[in-house]
Amino acid sequence: MMLHVEQIYKNFGGITALDGCTLSIEKGRITALIGPNGSGKSTLFNIISRLLKEDSGKISFNGQDITTSDEVQVARQGISRTFQDVRLFRNLTIQQHLEIALSDEDEFLLKSLNKKTDHDQKIKEILHLVRLHKPLQTLATDLSYGQRKLLDLAIAMAKPHSLLMLDEPVAGINPQLRQEIKEILRTLHQQGETVLLIEHDMNFVMDLAGYIYVLDAGKVIAHGEPRKIQQNPNVLAAYLGE
Amino acid sequence: MSYWIHILILVGIYLILAVSLNLALGYTGLLNLGHVAFFGLGAYTSVLLTDAGVHFIVAFLAAGLVASLFGLGLVLITRKLKGDYLALATLSFHFVIYSLLLNWVSLTRGPLGIAGIAKPSFFGFSITSNTAYLFFVSSIALITIVIIYKIVSSPFGRLLQATRDDELGLRVLGKNTTKLKAKAMMLSAFFAGIAGSLFAHYITYIEPNSFTLTEIILVLTIVIVGGLASIKGTLAATFIIIAIPELLRFVAIPSAIVGPSRQILYALILLMILLYRPRGLFGRIDLT
Amino acid sequence: MTFPFLQLLFNSLIIGSIYALVAVGFSLIYSTNRFMHFAHGASVVIAGYALFTFFHLLHLHLIISILLTLAITMSIGYLMHLCIYKPLQQRKSSTVILLISSIALLILAENLILLFYGADVKSIGLIPPRTGISIGDANITVLQIFLIVISVILLIFLYLFLRHTRLGRNLRAVADNKELAAIMGLNTSRLLAFSFVIGSLLAGIAGILIGLEQNLNPMMGTSLMIKGFSGAVIGGIFSVPGSILGSYIVGGAENFGTWYLPSGYKDAITFTLLFLFLLFKPAGLFGMEKGVKA
Repeated sequence: MMLHVEQIYKNFGGITALDGCTLSIEKGRITALIGPNGSGKSTLFNIISRLLKEDSGKISFNGQDITTSDEVQVARQGISRTFQDVRLFRNLTIQQHLEIALSDEDEFLLKSLNKKTDHDQKIKEILHLVRLHKPLQTLATDLSYGQRKLLDLAIAMAKPHSLLMLDEPVAGINPQLRQEIKEILRTLHQQGETVLLIEHDMNFVMDLAGYIYVLDAGKVIAHGEPRKIQQNPNVLAAYLGE
Repeated sequence: MSYWIHILILVGIYLILAVSLNLALGYTGLLNLGHVAFFGLGAYTSVLLTDAGVHFIVAFLAAGLVASLFGLGLVLITRKLKGDYLALATLSFHFVIYSLLLNWVSLTRGPLGIAGIAKPSFFGFSITSNTAYLFFVSSIALITIVIIYKIVSSPFGRLLQATRDDELGLRVLGKNTTKLKAKAMMLSAFFAGIAGSLFAHYITYIEPNSFTLTEIILVLTIVIVGGLASIKGTLAATFIIIAIPELLRFVAIPSAIVGPSRQILYALILLMILLYRPRGLFGRIDLT
Repeated sequence: MTFPFLQLLFNSLIIGSIYALVAVGFSLIYSTNRFMHFAHGASVVIAGYALFTFFHLLHLHLIISILLTLAITMSIGYLMHLCIYKPLQQRKSSTVILLISSIALLILAENLILLFYGADVKSIGLIPPRTGISIGDANITVLQIFLIVISVILLIFLYLFLRHTRLGRNLRAVADNKELAAIMGLNTSRLLAFSFVIGSLLAGIAGILIGLEQNLNPMMGTSLMIKGFSGAVIGGIFSVPGSILGSYIVGGAENFGTWYLPSGYKDAITFTLLFLFLLFKPAGLFGMEKGVKA
């Protein structure tokens, strides 16, 4: 068990976002988190990556309790995540983004002054994998939306991690690119990556995920393999009742 | 000729002040309106130490270190603030320092200021002529520019720029941005502090009013006119902003008018740049 | 000397009233426009010097001088909005750009006054009898009582205006949510301009009262502005009652503080207070968390 979330509660000014949410992520599997808008998926993501603090509950990651960690510490412990609205460094180049993600000890000033980081090979591999074919010196601000989505994915992959958390990796992009991202994630799966993703596109999720958790009103209302989830009447009700 | 040497010395000092502000503001995105406080702290530190008989070199470096420590304090206590609230907090930091300089009379002589400051001397040399001082200031300015250029083009500098563009995005990549900002601010303050020392030992008289809001606007104008995150821009803008108003002197106007006219000119330049060329002369990035 | 509580209280009320007039205008403009209009301090000084010009130099009737002064401050507030802020806002400039441009405007205005009127202090010359009312050991002049009363009446009037008139409610709607207000059919751009006019009117009244009570100097705008925004931030920058309370707190802290510290530390006390609020309660006493982007 790589990640275990137990009985997480979270309130926002009287509105319940998570209501005793419990789930587990198994190593080497793609797990999907689905549910209607406002069911608490993003809140859960933010709590796991420590951008939000839970009201109560426990989270363990690789056997360690991470509820006392902050977002920087869990990132160092091996959680890598993307955001629904892509977060890039506008004035930095593709290469600079990946250099930052790949290196883990850049904060020592004097050491870094004369250090030439050499991640060229690794950068090439990652960009090849995500099929982002743009000159390395392109600024993030000059990329199209789809390309930014790909760079975001590349950064999350480049950052040393054991769990990859993707928040709607194919939201708002065209069907062809959607297909490409699906293939990228398949490749990652074959390489043994552990992925947790939020996605609205049902076909995408059913094709890709090995395990699915369905959230509604802050609770897990169903979980299991895709085929079982598709036949679950509770899931249908949650979606149609929206 | 000697008049232009004087101007060039001022250009050198303001260059150090402006490049160091650009490190914090342009490269790291720290909207620090308290930069001139570091300048003042450096000036007073250096003067008080040399008056107490401390060697100039030691006092000069201490000026940087004291400013740097205040920079660390400032960044740590304001680390939760952003945007205009950070600007406001750093501005009130400036005013706190200013009030201290003005009111801690037993140490700073308050509004009377400190006169008769010794010209620097070290290794048997004494820098008394303006030509020698220009050489000294230019060397320090050059060293400052080289160091800051090295910093911003290093992997560390890359992280500073990433902090500016998206702090949260960098934190989820596992980088401690508070530390990064603290280091950037300390470096920035260090150079502002040594610029203060150079200023004090050149003018040989300092008072709290040498370090006011108008000085902040002056340095900010230089950085914004030159362009954020552009050392070349700051270099060009320092010459333009410091030297051009000096031409006012050659127009036959009473000296009482020169001061306000210069401030009016700076304010107008700043407004025009913000309105019509927000990236400055050589800048690539917008101020956010 | 015994602790002159009453005198310090009077002094706090007098200066607090002036700060409150500066602060509410600033707070009104901030809550609708969402940036810190530092040049608000310039409006105060301009009002003082305009009154000086009309009343003292041109010998116009006091009432006419006051009306002309208010017309000028309102126009200048409107022009700053129209020529500088509006173009910047339309370009979606950040609050920081607007803040810097407002500091530039403040410096510009102060130095223009310095250029035309010189650095020496000016007095309006409407000198009412200095002998005031003595209560115990404390003294307060008639003019000072007038100043406090006028401020309090104005502040109550402003509060009622914002609460109970259609225009006031529209302003609050824009302050609350500009996009939503626009969707609901409010002319937000006119309301933004209007908040500048009202805010500057308040600054103008503050300038006139200061001009009547104290001497004028070209650089007083900066220090008044600092006190005004300190009051606003301490009380809660989005809240008019909060800004008023904050301003009296600043006035009180300064006056009672200087009983224990040398009077030169007056400003330092304010900044320390402001600094502490920014660090520990940036939303202010009456505030919402909106001002802080964590």
